[in-house]
Amino acid sequence: MTEPIIRLTNVFKRYDDTEILKGIDIELEQGKFYTLLGPSGCGKTTILRIIAGFTSATSGDVYFDGQRINDLPANQRKVNTVFQDYALFPHMNVHDNVAFGLRLQKKFSKADINQRVHEALTSVRLADYADREISELSGGQQQRVAIARAIVLKPRMLLLDEPLSALDAKLRRDMQYELRDLQQRLGITFLFVTHDQEEALAMSDEIFVMNAGHVLQSGTPVDIYDEPINHFVADFIGESNILTGTMIKDHEVEFVGKRFECADAGMRPNESVEVVLRPEDLDITTPENGKLTVTIESQLFRGDYHEIVAYDSDHNEWLIHSTNPATAGQQVGLTFEPYDIHVMRLHETEADFDARLERYDDEQAEVKRP
Amino acid sequence: MTQRRFKWSSIYLLLVFVILYAPILFLIVYSFNSGTTMDHFDGFTLAHYATLFADTRLIAIVLQTLLIALLSALIATTIGTLGALWIQQTSRPFFKNSLLSFNNILIVSPDVIIGASFLIFFTTLSIPLGFTSVLISHTAFSIPIVVLMVLPRLKELNGSMLDAAADLGATQSQTLRDVIIPFITPGIFAGFFMALTYSLDDFAVTFFVTGNGFSTLSVEIYSRARQGISLEINALSGLLFVLTLVLIVGYYIVSQSSQRRLLRKKRGVNR
Amino acid sequence: MTQRHFTSWTYYVPYGLWVGLFVIAPVGLIIYQSFLDLHHHFTLANYQAYFESGTYLMMTVNSIWWAFLITLFTLLISYPAAYYIHQLKHRQLWLLLTILPTWINLLLKAYAFIGIFSQAGVVNQFLSLFGIGPQQILFTNFSFVFVATYIQIPFMILPIYNALDDLSGSYINASHDLGATNWQTFSKVVWPLTLPGVKAGVQAVFIPSLSLFMLTRLIGGNKVITLGTAIEEHFLTTMNWGMGSTIGVVLIVAMVLIMIITGERRQDRGRVR
Repeated sequence: MTEPIIRLTNVFKRYDDTEILKGIDIELEQGKFYTLLGPSGCGKTTILRIIAGFTSATSGDVYFDGQRINDLPANQRKVNTVFQDYALFPHMNVHDNVAFGLRLQKKFSKADINQRVHEALTSVRLADYADREISELSGGQQQRVAIARAIVLKPRMLLLDEPLSALDAKLRRDMQYELRDLQQRLGITFLFVTHDQEEALAMSDEIFVMNAGHVLQSGTPVDIYDEPINHFVADFIGESNILTGTMIKDHEVEFVGKRFECADAGMRPNESVEVVLRPEDLDITTPENGKLTVTIESQLFRGDYHEIVAYDSDHNEWLIHSTNPATAGQQVGLTFEPYDIHVMRLHETEADFDARLERYDDEQAEVKRP
Repeated sequence: MTQRRFKWSSIYLLLVFVILYAPILFLIVYSFNSGTTMDHFDGFTLAHYATLFADTRLIAIVLQTLLIALLSALIATTIGTLGALWIQQTSRPFFKNSLLSFNNILIVSPDVIIGASFLIFFTTLSIPLGFTSVLISHTAFSIPIVVLMVLPRLKELNGSMLDAAADLGATQSQTLRDVIIPFITPGIFAGFFMALTYSLDDFAVTFFVTGNGFSTLSVEIYSRARQGISLEINALSGLLFVLTLVLIVGYYIVSQSSQRRLLRKKRGVNR
Repeated sequence: MTQRHFTSWTYYVPYGLWVGLFVIAPVGLIIYQSFLDLHHHFTLANYQAYFESGTYLMMTVNSIWWAFLITLFTLLISYPAAYYIHQLKHRQLWLLLTILPTWINLLLKAYAFIGIFSQAGVVNQFLSLFGIGPQQILFTNFSFVFVATYIQIPFMILPIYNALDDLSGSYINASHDLGATNWQTFSKVVWPLTLPGVKAGVQAVFIPSLSLFMLTRLIGGNKVITLGTAIEEHFLTTMNWGMGSTIGVVLIVAMVLIMIITGERRQDRGRVR
């Protein structure tokens, strides 16, 4: 494996008495789109600021290309940032904002600068806006100028601090495509910070899910969605029905007073666990054919599906996404497949979790071989 | 009903503005009086303006006043801007609040206290009373207002803009020169302008700290007014009023255009 | 926030010197001087004289009373004026017209009133039309309060106007929406929310009103003696700097008291919010 472009080892950050980061270890490879995902206050922006050099780690090391950069000031780091509020200089026009960093370096001719600024503005589709004042631009256009200003310096890595949060829903979706496209065209590493799980799932090669100063789980969007490590991740990424249960033995789990076949294994017999069932994995059927019987409480039409809330006889709430509408008050059956059940151990670390998944994958392979 | 209320308020406002402007217009009207009092308007004349322009002593005083105002405003703007930078980037809240309190002492102090305490100060240090002491005093009491005009601008300069400058490779001094100073320039101009008016308007402090040979316009008017009516002073007010109007209209145009830019910026962000 | 240094500390030397030499030193000197007698010997006699002789205490009470009256009249005239100006179409321009007179030299305005209020001046000419003149107007308490109020009005209108400007229109709409009458909206929403502006105005008017010595000389005819007049007299006429400084210290204490009171109130508001 090549040397990662950024490596944080055991990074802690304290402000006065509060600990913002509690031992962060992450590695970012060249040319990938990474996302730090978590609720506000989880420390994700602090990681970004430590990498950019706006603040320093209380302890722990930051490596860039294998070089320790803890003490390198922000203005000498080969990373650039797109700020949440864009931070465009209001007393300069679009061209001057983008040219700002180039002019400081004093090694480019005027023609060179104009050429590079034009290229950067073209790549964010604002080539005709060079002479506009910042105040004349819409939010979406300011966003693009901020991106152009950061990429014009040809950084090895681009840091994006919730850059889409101020945009309306439609524009945000368009920008997701554009950012992804831009990252692939430039071939540099993007580190994107957001609290919006949809954004993270849509754009990233790899996601770091954070909470309260810890990285809880990292992996591809599909891995994290399908195999959440714990209650928090399952709840934060996508919508889920989370129930407490008991792992009777490998491939058999008990919850809501019934035993079900499942795909998970490698836990102690009769271990207490939590079970996740995604709403879209639940199918409505007749009460006789269902594995469970629930009563429909209410439903909302969400455009591409109906969001249905139902209760079973133990008063557990069930969230179901269905293409067909249901009738409130009606008793229906719910079915799901064994592999739709995701079993999570309580307090499992990411390393143990990965090891267990690997063992389990090997077993599966052995089962298939004969 | 609304119409009726509007009418009452208009009459009230009209009255307030009449009271505000009547004395000033009264002064100017009588500056053209061919008589010698402000009681009866005997006829039109420009004689008092002629006397005014022949009064070399008064003209010298006007020039001295302007020189003091410009010099003190210039020095105060420089020191005050540096002070504002200091206050803004102080991280310890106690120290910051102390600096701000010290800054505001001269703003809330009555003129006589400033005048009296400066008089003791100059006497203690044996600084001669005259041009120097007046210039130092005007500079000193103008500094805090400059700080107060520059600080809000510095606060508007949010952290991420400075982070952005560093992120794009700017050193501290480049950030100061290329981002901070241009950004706070409107505040610096406002501070300079306020310092100028503070100096031109001051009477009490100058009255305390000036010596025999040196006088500013306010002090001169005071001593002449104590001797009674002289329509030459009316002529002087007429001239000063026109000068003030020109200054204000100029400043209004400048600030309006920068305000419009600010408004546009706000609209842009909201969109 | 991280600490940010965009300048080296040498830039701060001039401002630091200013704080030391022109803020701390003068206050220290005036306090020191207040303990000196005419021969520069240490004494408590000045304070003794101030607190024991009825004249100084009466003068202080009088001075506060006149300042109170000036502030009250200024507020009564300025609040409605600020309120109506804020409703006007070109309010920025009207506000500018309100401030404009403050840029005419104070002494010139005082001088104008010498003419207006004189024995044969326009006011007396006007009163004569009704057969009630000529009256002695100049050099009376009335003329002093009138001219002082006239001078202070713009300084009161400005902060009140700013407070009204900060007041979001949606509060007023919300108040009407919830069924409040115009008067109820004013007394329960507009007035409490503009109170900080009123306080700022009171601060800006009251303290200078304690020390308007040139007006007491030119307009009040030495009938009104304010703290400011007394200080000027002791410093520049009788040359008793010690006594002048003692009165100065009293004025400083009064000023600090006023600032503490308004400061504490502001904290209370913060806590409520």
